[in-house]
Amino acid sequence: MRKLFLPIALLVLLIVIPPFMGIAWQNALVNVLIASLFALAFNLLIGQAGLLSFGHAAYFGLGAFAALHMMIAIDDGFPFPTPLVPLAGAAIGLIIGLIAGYFATMRSGVYFALVTLAIAELFHSLAPRLEDLFGGEAGVSSMRMPWSGIIFGSTLEVYYLTLAWVVLCGLALWSYTHTPFGRLTLALRDNEQRVRFLGYNAHSSKVIIFAISAMFTGVAGALLAISNETANYSLFASDVSAQVVLQTFVGGSTIFFGPVIGAAAFTLFSFLLSDVTRSWVFYQGLIFVLVMLYAPAGIGGVLQHHIRHRRQLDWSRLACPYLVAILGGVLVAAGVVFMTETVSILFGEEYAMARQATAGGLPSYPLFGIEWRPVSPLTWLLPLILLVCGVAVMVRARRRIDALWGRMDESRQVTADVAVLGGAT
Amino acid sequence: MIAPINDQPALRLSRVTKSFGPIEVIKGLELDVRRGDRHAVIGPNGAGKSTLFNLISGMFAPSSGEIMLNGQSIGGLAPHRINRGGLARSFQITNIFHRLSVFENLRIGVLARHGVRYGLFRRIARMQQVNEEAAEALARVGLEARAHDLAGDLTYSEQRALEIGMTLTTGADVILLDEPTAGMSREETAQAVELIRSVTEGKTLLMVEHDMSVVFSLCDRVSVLVYGNILATDTPARISANREVQEAYLGQEAS
Ligand SMILES: Nc1ncnc2c1ncn2[C@@H]1O[C@H](COP(=O)(O)OP(=O)(O)O)[C@@H](O)[C@H]1O
Ligand SMILES: [Mg+2]
Repeated sequence: MRKLFLPIALLVLLIVIPPFMGIAWQNALVNVLIASLFALAFNLLIGQAGLLSFGHAAYFGLGAFAALHMMIAIDDGFPFPTPLVPLAGAAIGLIIGLIAGYFATMRSGVYFALVTLAIAELFHSLAPRLEDLFGGEAGVSSMRMPWSGIIFGSTLEVYYLTLAWVVLCGLALWSYTHTPFGRLTLALRDNEQRVRFLGYNAHSSKVIIFAISAMFTGVAGALLAISNETANYSLFASDVSAQVVLQTFVGGSTIFFGPVIGAAAFTLFSFLLSDVTRSWVFYQGLIFVLVMLYAPAGIGGVLQHHIRHRRQLDWSRLACPYLVAILGGVLVAAGVVFMTETVSILFGEEYAMARQATAGGLPSYPLFGIEWRPVSPLTWLLPLILLVCGVAVMVRARRRIDALWGRMDESRQVTADVAVLGGAT
Repeated sequence: MIAPINDQPALRLSRVTKSFGPIEVIKGLELDVRRGDRHAVIGPNGAGKSTLFNLISGMFAPSSGEIMLNGQSIGGLAPHRINRGGLARSFQITNIFHRLSVFENLRIGVLARHGVRYGLFRRIARMQQVNEEAAEALARVGLEARAHDLAGDLTYSEQRALEIGMTLTTGADVILLDEPTAGMSREETAQAVELIRSVTEGKTLLMVEHDMSVVFSLCDRVSVLVYGNILATDTPARISANREVQEAYLGQEAS
């Protein structure tokens, strides 16, 4: 029961708090939930089956369009309950997932990734030309129709509908890992050849795994369509496919709920920062690279590592180096942000115009409420000092942390970090 | 009249050939493996022993010829079909699920035996029969203490035992083991021999084995494979007395 405490507490918070939030935040949470489901569905492939899809935008987009067509049909009098519209996304995801999966899973590795990419690109290039299905370049729009007294007019209603679907689908995906087929999925990831020689049809198994992943992805897409009441072909774009890859890996693909962490972090990140800076895509990429280099198991992997060893952890000793490491991280982040923003201002259009106005000079510019001169050494020394100090502090803290962890490890053997998606039986 | 199943050979290969590009590795091979026998295949490195196993188990399709399993033609069928027809194999290079627990490795095979191939709507923890059988398989290969460790963390000889255990879980009655004792110490080999003897009781075994003492203590019949052809098939005693075999193989190994 103690295991359930955290998820239930989180769920209660997700139910109780949003009514007290502004619409913008409610909307952001809707997007967090949708991204979470998308990432969970995607991770069924990479985390459990070991198949890296670069084209999951296809099933996300198809789910969205299917939902919109269903909403239009409801608008025209088709008696279908609005809360069940995501079923349309699920159905189309499943069907197209079976067909696309049949071809994609004929190969593994790079070839699989390329075929999935090609399929998504196919939709991306066809959709603008298919008026009836995808509404051309403008896309398809519809309205949420009331259903048995629920109007679905407010963001809060949409939020609760989304929450219900995401929680149900999340539970379904969680249960999947405890079924015989869920276990076979892990075996396929480890050693497809052996699976075949044990009497399983590896190809058809992979097709089904792919279709299930596409089905839940379709639900996520449908939820987005319900929230936005519109969709166009840009949903099929490769950056949608790439986003879910980044989120999943940053969150941690080897842990069931890891992708949710990545999805929530990146979605909130873009919600909070996309108005403040134009470089947030760059920051995202940077975070991805850093996580891959220094914590390949993702944020979730790091958290899980700590949770698993919580009994052995001596926080009275660890707290200090951890705080120092965080301080170093903040310094580095400040240096990077300063540098990035400076560069993006200096090479931006506005600055080019300002230079024209001063006949080619290098005028000063505002950043963080202060005027900076591009020729002043301070402008470049400050971020550099921040960076160097930050890195130095982090390196030292890390050494100390490694030493403390190492001392702990000596007393006991550590099994590999495979967690729920591996050794647990 | 159709011969009763017990008189049929468990495996019959007739005029089987296999070429990789221009190179013919198996050259019109003829082989009968009698039901219930423990049958060894010996031969120098590169003779085609693993290739022979790959043909029988469906990894490759033969270039020509016929392979019969229990009287049914299986040449060129997919590995999972041949497995369902009652033939299971192990691999010369350990071929397990490294990131799954030892128990899970065995349970995957047990599930296949029960025909649970797309089990999406039940909890595996509640499948008593399957879990019990997996536990039995675990005990049979002596890995109870390692049940919940990752298969990749096992020692080499433990992995070889697991490899054999997995091969048996699918319930096949024709078992192919490719060099099950390769790389083992003398004691480990002795243990492995006892393990193989006990788990293949009442089944048909075809195994590649270099160690003649293993062959002598375990097998009823031996075939000598040289350059893609069976040179001779006989009892271990008569094979080791066979001059032609000595020249072609045994002498060669001694040199
Ligand atoms: N997949 C393959 N492609 C090309 N040549 C192969 C392949 N498998 C085996 N061979 C060749 O076939 C010959 C027999 O190999 P193998 O069956 O592994 O021998 P053995 O197991 O008796 O040592 C070798 O010369 C090997 O190089
Ligand atoms: Mg070999």
